[in-house]
Amino acid sequence: MSEQRPGMFVPALIGGVVAGILSGIPIVNCLCCLWIIGGGILAAYFLTKESPVVLTAGDGAIVGIFTGIIAALVETVVNIPFRALSEKIVQGMMDRFSQYYEEMPSGWESWLEGRDFEGSVIWSFLGLVVSVVIFSALGALGGIIGISLFGKKKAAQKNEGVVDVSEDTSDRQS
Amino acid sequence: MMTAKTKFTIIYIATLIGILLWIGALFYAPYLKSISSPFSRFLYAVFSPTCHQNPSRCFYAFGNPVAVCSRCLGIYAGFFLGTLIFPLVKGLSTPVMPKAKTLILLSIPIFIDATGNLVGLWTSPIWVRFLTGFIWAIILPFYFLAGLADYILHKRKHSKLA
Repeated sequence: MSEQRPGMFVPALIGGVVAGILSGIPIVNCLCCLWIIGGGILAAYFLTKESPVVLTAGDGAIVGIFTGIIAALVETVVNIPFRALSEKIVQGMMDRFSQYYEEMPSGWESWLEGRDFEGSVIWSFLGLVVSVVIFSALGALGGIIGISLFGKKKAAQKNEGVVDVSEDTSDRQS
Repeated sequence: MMTAKTKFTIIYIATLIGILLWIGALFYAPYLKSISSPFSRFLYAVFSPTCHQNPSRCFYAFGNPVAVCSRCLGIYAGFFLGTLIFPLVKGLSTPVMPKAKTLILLSIPIFIDATGNLVGLWTSPIWVRFLTGFIWAIILPFYFLAGLADYILHKRKHSKLA
């Protein structure tokens, strides 16, 4: 009797929301892409917890992709109210720099220009599309790592080189 | 009809080309900035979702900051090196994921460095950030390629969304 594989939506939602929120909060998001990978690992953890069957790296990749998509959407929404706050933080940093340095370090201008660039609606949408693609890849990586860390160990199947499985004797008849 | 090894070789080459293009774009952005190309702003914006791009945390090329911080650059550089050495370590037949303890061991430096910086215990120089990201990311392609291969070669068996 084959066992049903678990649904991926809830684990992806949990991982994606956590990763998206942490990625959208200023200062906390200094860990860059690591939050998204972490979200994928979290999603894989919840997926393996519910699963009665052995999950493979491919399952981790899929739940990670969905996690990344959700994280991109959440991060975009979370970032909106924090954008004004981050502008204040940047202004404060610029003011402090100007007190101690006659000339601004090179590169700050392009960084500020890039932030303005992201402000328009069209480019925000384009940024969302790019985020979805990038976060999906990062989430997939996290999901694969998560399956490796938390995947159940069952009897090994022939030619299944990705995850070890233990031998299932429940269907054998004497 | 392609064998599994041939399919996986294609996946591997596509991944190698992909990470090369990605790293190339990181350095192309400051080059475009150096020649005052308006496209540079778009390219910097592409990488902004995944990185704070703080210039004080970035290496510089062509007189402008690379499109991501030093830690992210280290991660991508480590991923590239890991992808490059993958065939020498695992071969291009059946992809197998590394042991968890190897990942945990390689994660220790970046975990300590990132945590220390996040809680304000210290501020690491950019070369330390680069190095910790680099060390951790060397093992990532071994997971990525195994997962990608498993998904593409065995996709009939995978779960549905709900």
